[in-house]
Amino acid sequence: MFCAANVAAEASSEIVHGPKVVFEIPLFGGISITETTVIGWVLIAVIFFLCLWLTHDLKKVPEKKRQVIAEMAVEFVNNMVKTSMGEKFMGYAPYIAALIVFSASGSLVGLLGLRSMTADINVTATWALMTFALITYNKFRANGALGYLKSFTKPIFLLAPINILSEVATPASMAFRHFGNIAGGMVITTLLYMALGALSNLLHLEFVLGPFTLDVAAVGIPAVLSVYFDLFSACIQAYIFSTLTMVYVSSAAE
Amino acid sequence: MLNARITDFFSIDLGTIIPTLLNTIILFLILKHFLFGRVNKVLEDRKNAVAKTYGDADAALENAQKLETEYSQKLEKAKEESAEILKNAAKKAQQRSDEIIDEAKSEASAIMAKAGSEIEREKKRALNQVKDEITDIAYNMASKVVGREVSEADSDRLIEEFIDNVGK
Repeated sequence: MFCAANVAAEASSEIVHGPKVVFEIPLFGGISITETTVIGWVLIAVIFFLCLWLTHDLKKVPEKKRQVIAEMAVEFVNNMVKTSMGEKFMGYAPYIAALIVFSASGSLVGLLGLRSMTADINVTATWALMTFALITYNKFRANGALGYLKSFTKPIFLLAPINILSEVATPASMAFRHFGNIAGGMVITTLLYMALGALSNLLHLEFVLGPFTLDVAAVGIPAVLSVYFDLFSACIQAYIFSTLTMVYVSSAAE
Repeated sequence: MLNARITDFFSIDLGTIIPTLLNTIILFLILKHFLFGRVNKVLEDRKNAVAKTYGDADAALENAQKLETEYSQKLEKAKEESAEILKNAAKKAQQRSDEIIDEAKSEASAIMAKAGSEIEREKKRALNQVKDEITDIAYNMASKVVGREVSEADSDRLIEEFIDNVGK
């Protein structure tokens, strides 16, 4: 048992790793630009052209399907923001949409064989910090600086450490929830591929063609798990992250 | 690329955090300007157009209802007027016919009176004529009986007396 667990842990530490560094900018002692960032740029470019195409030639009476799609998408997010945050927060709709789109597409690129953007703690932590900044900004605006500081001593000042802890826990839990779900899925999928590769090897169903290796047992089976770990998890985590952001920000403004 | 450095699975890296922050803000701006801005504008335009159409329809309906009541009032008034005119005409006609009948009646009675007096005169004339003739006959008879000529003046007087007595 121990032996098997050790082997798995060793293998996973070898196989499951952080994003590759694509290039370095020779500034400030070298800034490493990783896969995550590059995938983010590609996604932004794709989404940008998609937006341009969808909103090209909009008519008061829709003539093209793509206008209907664009309107549906916008109305979906608008309704979400309206029901979760209220009418006066409609300005947040594009930000919430950006979170959903970036998170979902960043996770779904895993299906293309790329490394999921959201399997990088830096990404989810950045978004969580942005949400935290919005929460704090809204609390300041609603209560003033003094009111904001005072809110930590409620109901009694003895609870201040716990209040501060819960304030910090909000973005931390958001970041780790999103990261953990996607990265965990990635780890499990990788381990499954390894296990199926070992199984193929054992059953002499492994064919090596130059640099490519075909593990027969690895055909089809991972797709079933992928439906949950890649498709479902990607969409649900994007939804959860944006919903939590809306709820926290709107309740911070009260 | 083959010798690309691989980062740790769990490492905090400002070189990723800052680009991600910028990326997210850029994506937010892209979605704001190129998706939400445009689509919301169209949706707003459509909402206004629909509201305007409904408003126009309501105004037209209201106007039509106003006109309808106005016209029905006018129609009612016209009906009343025509009834009034008819009534007046009937009254006038009645009056006129009464007048005509009265006139006819008075004319008729005048004719009757005239006829009566004529008949009376005629009767008198006829009576006088009869009287004259009887006088003649009586004269002739008397002269034949008496065998002599009575003076005409005498006889006339006598006969007059006689007839008057007989006529009584």
